[in-house]
Amino acid sequence: MSNAAAPADTRSSRRSTGGPPPADGARPVPGGPRRSRSGALRPLLFCAPFIVLFLGMYVAPIVYAVVKSLYTVQRSGLGLTAPTEEFDPLGNYLRVFDDGAFLSSLGRVALFGVVQVPLMLGAALVLALLIDSRSARGKGFFRLSSFLPYAVPGVSAALIWSFMYSPQSSPINRMLEPAGVSIPFFDGDLVLWSVANIVTWSWTGYNMIIIYAALQSIPAEVLEAARMDGASAVRIAWSIKVPAVRGALVLTAVFSIIGSAQLYNEPVVLQPVSDGAVSSTFTPIMSAQSAIAAGNYPYAAAQSVLLAVLVGVVSFVFFTFTARGEQE
Amino acid sequence: MKRSITRSAGIIGTLTLALTATACGGSDSDPASSSGKASITFWGWAPGYEDAVEAFNRSHPDIKVTYQSVQPGAKGGYQKMLNAVTAGNAPCLAQVGYETLPSFAAQGALLDVAEHASGAEGDFQEAAWKSVTLGDQVYGAPVDTGPMVMFYNKEVFDSLDLAPPATWAEYEEAARKIHASGPERYITSPYMDYDYAGLAWQADAGWFGIKDDAWQVTMASKANRKVADYWQGLVDEGLVSNAPMYDQAWYTGLGDGDIATVVGAVWQAGVIKGGAAKGAGKWAVAPMPQWTEGDDQVGNAGGSATAVLAGCDAPEAAWTFAHWLSTDRKAFGDLVDKAALYPAAKDLLDLPQLSGADEYFGGQKIYDVVAEAAPRVNSSWTWGPMMTRTSADLNDGLGKAWAGKGTLAGALRTAQQATVSEMEKQGMEVAG
Repeated sequence: MSNAAAPADTRSSRRSTGGPPPADGARPVPGGPRRSRSGALRPLLFCAPFIVLFLGMYVAPIVYAVVKSLYTVQRSGLGLTAPTEEFDPLGNYLRVFDDGAFLSSLGRVALFGVVQVPLMLGAALVLALLIDSRSARGKGFFRLSSFLPYAVPGVSAALIWSFMYSPQSSPINRMLEPAGVSIPFFDGDLVLWSVANIVTWSWTGYNMIIIYAALQSIPAEVLEAARMDGASAVRIAWSIKVPAVRGALVLTAVFSIIGSAQLYNEPVVLQPVSDGAVSSTFTPIMSAQSAIAAGNYPYAAAQSVLLAVLVGVVSFVFFTFTARGEQE
Repeated sequence: MKRSITRSAGIIGTLTLALTATACGGSDSDPASSSGKASITFWGWAPGYEDAVEAFNRSHPDIKVTYQSVQPGAKGGYQKMLNAVTAGNAPCLAQVGYETLPSFAAQGALLDVAEHASGAEGDFQEAAWKSVTLGDQVYGAPVDTGPMVMFYNKEVFDSLDLAPPATWAEYEEAARKIHASGPERYITSPYMDYDYAGLAWQADAGWFGIKDDAWQVTMASKANRKVADYWQGLVDEGLVSNAPMYDQAWYTGLGDGDIATVVGAVWQAGVIKGGAAKGAGKWAVAPMPQWTEGDDQVGNAGGSATAVLAGCDAPEAAWTFAHWLSTDRKAFGDLVDKAALYPAAKDLLDLPQLSGADEYFGGQKIYDVVAEAAPRVNSSWTWGPMMTRTSADLNDGLGKAWAGKGTLAGALRTAQQATVSEMEKQGMEVAG
């Protein structure tokens, strides 16, 4: 092995000596080496606690999950003794394509994201613009009250809504009763949007605050100039304010995409009262949990890794897409 | 607010009772130190276990048990135990429900203590002993059982001139009369996972079996079909409430007479009392209905064991404590009071705590009914090797079926297919 590596080393060293000086600080700087060494070490020392925690609590579990996902569980006979794990790098990942429950959970969450995220961000934008508008009254009150749902923990929010949806107790349906209408919140087709409603309720105010903060940074002169040119409030909002908060919108959209992929609290809380409409593999995370329930940790790891990669790709594509739009 | 507190309390209470398993475990550092004193740790969550451990330590100077309270199994306790076994620092003993024990075995998380436990078989009821053994391996001591009875709202039954039904056919008749007396009135509510399993258990409709070296999955068997079709008939006629068990709507229904029976295990007496205070004095207990008149078949729901976990370095001391916890009269008497446990040990069935009159149940001595049922629990039931997954898959289908979408028999078929498919993917032998 060392023999094989030697020529490669020679080649690379020859190439680097032959070419222009490397960019990595080898360019001669007076007194450079000593200063740069201590200069590089000191911040490192300050960052050490963070780096240790980051590696231990963040990177290590990810690496562990990736490694775990490359093994498949092997049992024999009745399987009542400890399973063995066999290195089979593609086994779990190939199985995913055969796993209808996992694939449909992905599809379900994708549909959820495509519908819920634009609706929620649209609502957040409109709210922010309204509160920001010159004629708004009680700004403080509306800002706080629309942000309040975010302060309610997700599980509690879902519990409250499960009570509002429950056929036995729903105050919504009781109010609609005189009109002869009853909304089947737990119907198989509707339940996804019942979940979307809870998420929207919880997060619209949060996103509104981010967009509202961006609105605050628009220079007053710009708005003043537009007003003097005779632009209406709607026109100012559309042509000046919305483009100005574009960055905030992209940011909240990426947060929301990631949030959608991690959908868990709301469906899990609704599950026991949903008449089976929320299955145990309703979302990708729930699907991974059901692999754990079957004692198949490597397969759960594979599902999680795949989900993380998908979210990464979608976020990247979204960023690229919106950035291109900005340049045009 | 109050509602949600009551509700969570109900859920927690239910879990505690349903999963009442004794966990003892914990091989701390030196099992047999120089003084010869064994030291073990025990993880559990049932109310009353801590006091029992203290009593044990006072009477057994040569063994020191440390009790550590963990989350109830389904709430995270089981995951913690499995993680600890994987990490090699698990306690010697843990509270594990019977339905989960084979899944623990399938993770290699249990230790065979047959060499210490031999001879104890006769101390326990047959079905309970079978729950802690696989082949000739013994994985712990059974603590409590969940023989099933029928809790019924006597006030509702009396007002309609109904006697507690002795057969399922009579139960169906009663269901019609009760629903006819009010559109919001139903005889019962949907049964899921282990509560439904108890109904199948009674009818000898096993879900799993072992033949030679292969699993047999029989959730869709003819016997299961009979049970499923019976309840399907009630669903189709609109005779079953849609209030999910342990939900606030269920407790409300039990309290005001809209849900007139609960066919369930002895520990559900505590759940009903705790969640439906309004029903005090109205409820009573009767034997569960039979498929054929004159039969005396009884199902079981819940119950748990003190399991010995893999890696335990003081298995003998662990077994000594586990056996003591399940058989000591004083300690178990307190557990009956604190956790409504019904003993798995034969000699404890005459505990004074099991003979009192219960005010909630109109002064009835409810344990008399249970005592009659306990020896009749069918002992041929076997749990599968991945029950957490199986029950989740089953509930997906059952939830829809009870709501009138799909059928109960279909739910069992689908759960069987999913379970078999997962077992085969992991390489287990499954007989056709």
